[in-house]
Order: sequence, then C-alpha cells, then structure tokens
Amino acid sequence: MPTFEHGTIKIEVDEDGFMDEPSEWNEEVAKALATTEGVQELTEEHWKLVNYLREYYLKFGIAPMIRKLCKETGFPLKKVYELFPSGPAKGACKVAGLAKPTGCV
Amino acid sequence: MSPATNTERSHKAQKVLERFDKKLSRQVVSSLVSCVHCGMCTDSCHYVLANPDDPSYAPAYKADRIRRIFKRHFDWTGRVAPWWVHARSVYTDDDLEELKDIVFGKCTNCRRCTINCPMGVDFATFNRMARGLLVSVGVMPEGVSVVSKDQWEIGNQMGVLKEDYIETLEWMAEELQMELNDPEATIPIDVPDCDIVYSINPREIKYDPRTIADAAKIFYAAGEHWTMPSEGWDMTNFGLFSGDDDLGGAVARRLYEKVSDLRGKTLVISECGHGYRSTRCEGPNWAKQDINDFAMESSVSTMLRYIRDGRITVDKTRNTTPVTFHDSCNNARSCGFFEEPRELLNLVCSDFREMYPNRAENYCCTGGGGAMSMSEYTPRRLKSAKIKAEQLKATGAKIVVTSCHNCVDGLSDLIRHYNLDMKVTQLVNLVADALVIEPKAEAPEAAVPVATADGELAGYTILVADDEPDLVTFVSTLLEDHGATVIGASNGEEALSLARAHKPDLITLDITMPGMSGDEVFVALRKDPDLRGIKACIITGRPELRRLIYERPVTPPEGYIDKPVDEESILTNVKKILEVHHES
Repeated sequence: MPTFEHGTIKIEVDEDGFMDEPSEWNEEVAKALATTEGVQELTEEHWKLVNYLREYYLKFGIAPMIRKLCKETGFPLKKVYELFPSGPAKGACKVAGLAKPTGCV
Repeated sequence: MSPATNTERSHKAQKVLERFDKKLSRQVVSSLVSCVHCGMCTDSCHYVLANPDDPSYAPAYKADRIRRIFKRHFDWTGRVAPWWVHARSVYTDDDLEELKDIVFGKCTNCRRCTINCPMGVDFATFNRMARGLLVSVGVMPEGVSVVSKDQWEIGNQMGVLKEDYIETLEWMAEELQMELNDPEATIPIDVPDCDIVYSINPREIKYDPRTIADAAKIFYAAGEHWTMPSEGWDMTNFGLFSGDDDLGGAVARRLYEKVSDLRGKTLVISECGHGYRSTRCEGPNWAKQDINDFAMESSVSTMLRYIRDGRITVDKTRNTTPVTFHDSCNNARSCGFFEEPRELLNLVCSDFREMYPNRAENYCCTGGGGAMSMSEYTPRRLKSAKIKAEQLKATGAKIVVTSCHNCVDGLSDLIRHYNLDMKVTQLVNLVADALVIEPKAEAPEAAVPVATADGELAGYTILVADDEPDLVTFVSTLLEDHGATVIGASNGEEALSLARAHKPDLITLDITMPGMSGDEVFVALRKDPDLRGIKACIITGRPELRRLIYERPVTPPEGYIDKPVDEESILTNVKKILEVHHES
C-alpha cells in the first residue's frame, strides 16, 4: 500500500491516491490531497462540496450521483468542474477522503 | 480430452482445467498452436516499450503462460513430450494468482500485437478466455468483481438506481430548456416507435451528464424522433473485460429487449469503445440472439449523418483550438471504426492534427480492458503510458478527442502523470459546441400518439400544396384514410386560390414550388384577414430554407416537417396542429 506524504501529513492511499482509511481524514489531509488534484487553495465553496460528499459517503458508503451533489450544494454542474478540474469522480471524491469510485472512471 | 484428476491440485485449479476445453473455439485453438516465437509482437506492445528490459511483458511470453496449460492438457505435443514444448499445468492457487497478474495486470487486451502478428495469433482473445476462467473461480481484481456484481444485480456498472437515472435526465432536460429557451426541448423517456433509442455509459449519468445534454441538444436540432430507455440503458459491458460470456450476454440482452419492447428503429450507442464493440459486435453472440428488428450504430455515425443530410448545421470556426484524435482499441482495431470520427472531426474543428501511428495502429490509452477499475495495477499502467504520452506531445495539439469513455479517463490520468498541457474531450461535445441552432417554431413530433383508428380527422378540410404529384397523392391518401377532406394543389397560385375558395382548416406547404413559392403563399395567407386563421404546416426537403419562413414578420407556421416524410410524422404533426387528441 503506497503512502502519501505532504508536509507533516502521512497517510496510506491506494495506487490511484485515494485514501485507504477514511476515518483518518481531516481538514489538513483534505488540503494536502487537494494539491494532487490541481487545487491549490480550498475556498468556502470547495469545502461546501467536500463536506457534502463526505457526509453522504459516511452515511451510504458510496459517492453520490452528480445530480444529488448539485441539488444539495446548489452549485450548477459547470461550477463543480471549475472547483475541481479533474471532476467530481476523481478530484472532489479524493479530497473528501472517499475510496476510488468503481467502474471505468 | 478432460484433464486427469490430480489429488494435489487445488479445487480452483482443478475447476479451471475442467472448464478450459469448453472455452476452446477454432479461433482460440489456432491462436494457441500457431505462434512461432518470431518476436514481431514484442515492439507492438506499449508495456514492452516502457519496460524494454523486462521480457515478461512480451506478448509471446505472456501468451505462453496460457499456452503451456493448453499444451499440457489438450494438445498432443504436450501430452507426448511436455518437456519439449514447455507444457505445464496449474496446480495451486498461487499459480492462478500468478496468471491473474499477467492476464489482468500486464495486458489491456488492446489487440495491437494481434494485428502485427504474421501468424494471425489473436493473443487478446485467449487472454480474455483466461480471464474468464479465472473469474469463474473467483480469482480476479476486486474492481472487476465489484463492477460485475453491480452489472449483474442492479443492471448497470455503477449501481445507478432507476429513479436517480430518470431524475438526472429530467435535470439535464431542464438545463437544455433554459439554454435553448424552449420548453419543448426534452429528453424523452420510453417513447415507443422512435427512430432512435439512445444508450449511454453509466459514467455519464453518475458523474458527468454534460455529454447527455450535448447529445440531447444535437437530437433536438436535428428534429430527431428519439428516446432514452428507462431500463437497459447501460451499453457498457464488463463481460468483455472479465471474460465472462454469461455476463456479456445478460447485459447485451437487457439492451436488445428494451429496444424491441419500444419498437425502436436504431439503437444508438454513445461514444464508448468497449460499449460499441460489446453491444454491436460481440453482444449477439454472447446473448445467443439474432438482432433483426433494429439497427445499431455509434453516435458518431448518427452525428455525421445529420450533417451530411443537412439536418443540423455546424460552424467549425467555433472550435479553433488544435485537436488530435486518439483511436480507441475496441473501435479501431476490433471494429474497423476509424474514418467516421475523423470525417466528423474535420467538419466541426478547424485545426485537426493527426497522431502517429494512427487508426488500427494507434497505441492503447493504457486504461483499456477494464484497467481503470483495477487500482492495484495503476503504477504499471501509468509507466506503460510512456509511448502514448510521447505520441500526444508530438502532435502539438491542445485537445485530444476520443470516442471512448474509458480512453477519456485513461488519457486524463496519463496527461496529468506526464504533465502534458492537454485536455480530453469527445466528439459529442465538439459537435454541440459547433451547432448552429435555428429559431424554434416547429411542432414537436410524437407529442400525440399516432393514430390507429380511422376517422380521427373527420370534419377537417386540409389543403395539400406540393409540386411533386407523388407527394400530393401520398399525403392526401394518408389524410383521407383518417377521415379528412383533402384538396390538392400543385403550385403556389393554385394553393392560394383554393384556400380562398374552401377555407381549409390546415394547409401543408412545400417551400420550393415553381411560380409563387411556399413562403410567399404562407405570407399571403397570414396577411389576409380572412385566411390568417388557416393553420399552416411547412413540408420541405431543404431545411436550410426555413429561414425564409421564420424571418417573416408574421406568426410562424404551426408545424414543420422535413422531407423525406413518413406516415407517422405527418399524422402526428397534423393531429398536433389540429389539436386532435387520440382517444385511448
């Protein structure tokens, strides 16, 4: 299992860089993971999205549909891609500490 | 011959051997026996090119790990002199794990070695066979197992529930209505008797529905009579990747049955290489079913046809960023589908740059064969992407276009890994961006069910004006059969005078007629206080002329039909215009 290190952060991740142990997630970890997804600074809007993803994941064990994400955060689809250029499946989910989504993504 | 029972063999290894001979087709056997170890395949493989010092990546070497089992148990040479032909059986679960590492982790089944083999050895085909054997005893990457389970149990590879699927389509339809400022721009669901049933990759509905909205916009602009199915909409098929023909058949059958139920004429497959190959080429074999009642095509062909037939107008100056095209292995090598996307690309982009090598010789995106779902092999995958990264960079393009969702993700990953300044997109996005949409004013088709009973148009008088006598006869007969009183006119002047004399409820007008043209007749009708109440439906073979109608400062026509016409579109539109409702 590879290790991801950034500053003082040191966590176990899978080969695609997704967290192995979601319970180790915290805001500092999120900031560190964001740097690997082309997001240098997490704004209030980023956090809104990340927090929703995380809550949903802890409740249901999977990533939400993009429809739910947009509906609950109030962000249009375009905005989600502006916030996380690598998209919701990869970028946003990784920063929120989710496991890698299944399927061909 | 069945393999001899060996008490020292693990249960799984024994099952693999027992099932081996059921998988042996003539194609597989000829590939297993005809390798001469010439080495031509070696340089064709992207894994080898990135790992030149590691012979275990060579296609012939990998193939021999499967071939030796075949020789040991099924080929006379291996039974007589196993040491001579390097025949060897599998005994333990570790042997199977070792095989798994090769067939899932060191090959994307891209078939580039296949087309470069002088003996015609199709390694990818028996590599897939070996995957299937391992999957049958539960030896497979976890990602493949999870996705296969969702496809078996929920009906699509991302476990999307029906209500979420429908809600997402409704959401995209709302966005489209806002964009086009037309409340009738919709994404129809489960509409029977459509010309097109549109199937997608679950990735589109779950994470990135922009491609669905773009496709809907194109169908809207083309005036297409289309629908999306509420079930059986996942055209991807993990059976291709896992080697499980039963899963392949079950998934393909779901699509076929739904299209048949809806009596759709063509099943259109959105841009996905393995989905296209599975659904159109392999699916009927896995499903053991002949598909005769509908056609199947890639959405690339559909879009290209719309432009060729003048059903949509595109402006290539809207896409000026330099683009290149990456061929999906399944499209290009397995289905010979590589000219259509290039033709389309040249119609919607102004700066297309070819990639070398290309078409059937193009290199894999390295995410094929289900590799995107097998995280354990990601470092190997990214390393093997070296040649692809070099190819991309050499084009100088800023956008790489591909007709495959798997390639979109595989390429996005490698672009980031190799720090290339490029974006990935699909043809549907570029076509939608280049689309020139005319102002809307036509009657939507199929808003009212098609008439089946006679006499629904009884009491209505309809004037049919067209300079083609055959068309007048065709339309008149059809409308009369449904109870209308029909008057025919063969030119504009005649149409206008008959309109004055009979005051019909509706007039159908051809645009290009000798003498007074259809648009002139239309304006004359609208400007005459006695005749302006007559409803008008334009029927034309030249959609580019619709501007002549809609630019006039008068109330637009109530309906608009493109030629060639068919019974269904005429009846649907006429009934819609006359507000005749089907009693059901």
